[in-house]
Amino acid sequence: MVDLPSPSRAAAPVVRDSAFRVRMRRVRDLTAQILSNPATVIGSVIILAMFAMAIFAPWLTAPNTPDPYQMPRDWAATRMPPGTPGYLLGTTNEGGDVLYGVIWGARMSLQLSLVVVGSVLVIGCIIGSLAGFIGGKLDEILMRIVDVFLSIPELIFALAIAAVLGPSFGNIMFALAMVMWVKYARIMRARVIQIKNSEYIDAARIIGDSKLNIYLRDILPNSFTPVMVQATLDMGNVVLIAATLSFIGLGEAGIAEWGVLVSEGQAGIASGRWWASTFPGLMIFLWGLAFNLVGDGLRDALDPRTESSR
Amino acid sequence: MLDMTNRPSGLANSPATIASVRDLTVHFPSKRGMVHAVDRVSFEIRDGETLGLVGETGCGKSVTGRSFLQLLPIPPGILAQGTVTFHPHARCGACAGTGCDACNSTGRRPAACPSCTGAGCAQCNGSGAETVELLRLPEDRIRRIRGDRIAMIFQDPGKALNPTLTIGDQLSEVFLQHRTEELLDAAGIGPEDRGLAARLLGRLASQRNGSIDNLLLSLPPLRGKRNLLLDALRNNVAAALAETQIANPYQIIDRYPHELSGGMRQRVMIAQALACNPDLLIADEPTTALDVTVQARILELIKDLQKRRQTSVLYISHDLSLVRRICDRVAVMYAGRVVEIGRTDRIFRNPSHPYTRGLLHAVPTAATKRGQLMAIKGTVPELVDPPPSCRFVGRCPHEKALCRSKNPELAQIADEHSVSCFIHDAAGAADAPSFDEKTQ
Amino acid sequence: MQLRDYVIRRLLVLPFLIIGVSMIVFALTRVGGSPIGIYLSHEMTPAQVAEIEARFHLDKSLPVQYFYWARGVLQGDFGWSGVSVAPVAEVFPKKLAATLELSVASGIVAVVMGLWLGTYAGARRNRPADHITRVVAVTGASMPNFWLAILLLIIFWAQLGWMPIGRSTPEIIALVPTRTGLYTIDALLAGNLVAFGDALWHLILPAITLGYGATAIIARMMRSALVEELQLDYVDAARAKGLPERLVLKKHARRNALIPTVTVIGLTFGFLLQGTVSVEIIFRWPGIGKWMADSVLRGDQATLMTYVLFTSIVFLVLNLIVDVIYANLDRRVELGK
Repeated sequence: MVDLPSPSRAAAPVVRDSAFRVRMRRVRDLTAQILSNPATVIGSVIILAMFAMAIFAPWLTAPNTPDPYQMPRDWAATRMPPGTPGYLLGTTNEGGDVLYGVIWGARMSLQLSLVVVGSVLVIGCIIGSLAGFIGGKLDEILMRIVDVFLSIPELIFALAIAAVLGPSFGNIMFALAMVMWVKYARIMRARVIQIKNSEYIDAARIIGDSKLNIYLRDILPNSFTPVMVQATLDMGNVVLIAATLSFIGLGEAGIAEWGVLVSEGQAGIASGRWWASTFPGLMIFLWGLAFNLVGDGLRDALDPRTESSR
Repeated sequence: MLDMTNRPSGLANSPATIASVRDLTVHFPSKRGMVHAVDRVSFEIRDGETLGLVGETGCGKSVTGRSFLQLLPIPPGILAQGTVTFHPHARCGACAGTGCDACNSTGRRPAACPSCTGAGCAQCNGSGAETVELLRLPEDRIRRIRGDRIAMIFQDPGKALNPTLTIGDQLSEVFLQHRTEELLDAAGIGPEDRGLAARLLGRLASQRNGSIDNLLLSLPPLRGKRNLLLDALRNNVAAALAETQIANPYQIIDRYPHELSGGMRQRVMIAQALACNPDLLIADEPTTALDVTVQARILELIKDLQKRRQTSVLYISHDLSLVRRICDRVAVMYAGRVVEIGRTDRIFRNPSHPYTRGLLHAVPTAATKRGQLMAIKGTVPELVDPPPSCRFVGRCPHEKALCRSKNPELAQIADEHSVSCFIHDAAGAADAPSFDEKTQ
Repeated sequence: MQLRDYVIRRLLVLPFLIIGVSMIVFALTRVGGSPIGIYLSHEMTPAQVAEIEARFHLDKSLPVQYFYWARGVLQGDFGWSGVSVAPVAEVFPKKLAATLELSVASGIVAVVMGLWLGTYAGARRNRPADHITRVVAVTGASMPNFWLAILLLIIFWAQLGWMPIGRSTPEIIALVPTRTGLYTIDALLAGNLVAFGDALWHLILPAITLGYGATAIIARMMRSALVEELQLDYVDAARAKGLPERLVLKKHARRNALIPTVTVIGLTFGFLLQGTVSVEIIFRWPGIGKWMADSVLRGDQATLMTYVLFTSIVFLVLNLIVDVIYANLDRRVELGK
């Protein structure tokens, strides 16, 4: 008699990992996947360079006293082209060092993007997740408001708010925050609803977890991934829109902010003085580009359906 | 001449074969190494037979099937070696394809080798039949074979039909691609015609028409001929649909795939495949996506069509019971290799490769006692850079030392029955309860 | 019929959204200082000020103020433009024509170039042409359009002197009677080819600037949609029928890839709408964008709010159309699966 294949038994014993360990492993795998994409690596390098420039600004260039965020004015050295000794990127109409504007502009952009994106993340996520989790009337009202907000194009909405409040950097930040939280509320709400209806929440409910517990421990931690992509992209978008607003004239004149510099540098173009607008504009472009690259890489890595880079 | 000494009988090239696969090897690069998806696979398909290609998911059967039409994703895949020779048929001259005694009512007869016009030469290995090596054919020639001499039907008809084109549109493509002269003939354009009408209609009949052509063809002087052509096309499509027992073909022509049921869609696929009376039909799991009841009917349809037209069929499936019902011979594949091949009744009565046996025993039947599901222990091995051993090592109940150091080749153990396993090298077939005994 | 219900539902919601937007706009007018500031001057007596306040119902409660404001808007009274020294409703159509001409030109550029680039790249996935296109696309999506405008201006206007600024050469365009307000169309209608050429020449640089970002977005979507379609079974099935690759690409893959791309094309209208502001400023294009920017600088609220209301309505309607088209096309695909 020949032995027949034996009935299969239970496989090897299951190893249970803590939820934290599993999550850390996912993060590590994700990072490896993201870094395998050359475009994302380039973006990350640019971001690091920008952040470094922003953080080390006081050491890279002598801060302009008393307010380092004001462009320095040196009437003896106006309209110098790039390459003039001491003024690597040239000077503006008022003798401000373009390089100074570029570096301190990075600092302003960093503050701007962190503050705005940070606050809209928090606000949008709280509102969105509450709407999704609690549902009912609250959800309906909030979503109507979100729908109306989304009916107005972002730039124009922010422009209107900043215009009525008056030209200032702070008002631009406020306007952007008011406009951008809605996206996050929507994404978060959709995600929370999706998870709320999934089976492991039913399991938690059966066990008798309190609603608050379910909300904090099960739903919130799993809802962040789609929001992360949007946040990364918005880090770039915020600077872009703020620069546009400054350019139109809603920024404070004379500050070391990229949008303002581009706007003030326009006057020199007809006379061939291209550098005052071009270099700050280049920075805006690179900032947006870098976050777009990283955001795309993140999106590709998180979406199981997208093509691999091979 | 071929070296026949170490080849089991039944694999020599002869006109009774419609296609033969020899040492087909396909690799796919992956992050972990080179995946040997198909490893020196050899078999032949006889003219008019239905050969089953059976195996579990990932064993390489789909890749093998696709290679016939050069539908492999090469790059990134790599065709490491192998040949697939094909003996195409041509339209029967006596009946112009309608069917007569000379061609057994199929309308097709083996084509003569062009270099020797049937006498026998080096090109056709003395057989006199036209011989084509499919894997290395240039693009324009393989396109002429696709859909015309060799056709393929796919697993999920819902996905294999374009959702935004009508059924008629999609079936017309086959006729427009391969039956241009007949369509032109119906419109009254002969092969020697050179006028404007001939040129414009020629473009329409070969799918090269642009918006300007369409505009010109809609004008009165040309419109009549155009409509003759389109009517002929429509009738051809309806006839093809009627062949698969679709009751109202003219209405189906204007429908979209999503408006039809799964079984209907598969009939459409089959109609499309058989439209030009191909010599070989490759069916890649055609019933997997269908309900069980519909499955049976589609199987019967394929069997019936195959008998009437004597089309050779390569039936790829993972379902043994299906294969048993319609295949004359069966080839069992495992981990990229053919492990057993032979006549269906032989294989099912006397499965000789341990894998085949495991497969057959794993199917639960009425006789199986409760709580006793048989499974083959272990899992399918990684196909990445495999070691030189039998692929079934670690799962085989009859494993010997030899199995771990050498990969067995297909060897004949009985008439119309070959196995690649070392158990059968020395003694005869090992005795084991047969499939029929266990089931009923 | 699911599609019909969907369309009806969206149409019913539309007016409410517009009302909601109008409420936001109204709130903004009340936030930003006095709404009648533009009518006041230092010489006025308190009695005159009070009279103006009563005329604009500022003594009443907010909801009542909104009612009067909304009624005025519906009757066509959009306020007085301090910038143009004329009623907003009078100046708006003229400026709108200019912006329309620019947007349509940019839109054509974006759609044609974007679809072509996307198809070109998608069919040659992971080959050099694909990588170059992707780089172009990503830079386009991140490029601040005012910076691109300035660069192009520096090169082609300041340095080379090839391209002009503004919308037209006044002497040439004065000869063309205004019919649609679009200089190119009007010139063609009048048979004045010189004027047509002049208008077109002025249009080139701003249209390229404005269209570049939109091209990038469309190309990107087209490429990824095409790549996805090419991996589906029906593409292989089409090849298995013996169809030449160009037919497989055009008739099968690309046609289906256009479906998701259509939604992006709709979104680019919103993109173009927002982009006109900076581009019009730099190229001195006399459209609603530049007009609005001037109003912002001069505190002219009426113009600004009309602009916001207008663009929001256009935005909403465009999105509705795109969503309906997509729902119709997608039906066949979804039901088939």
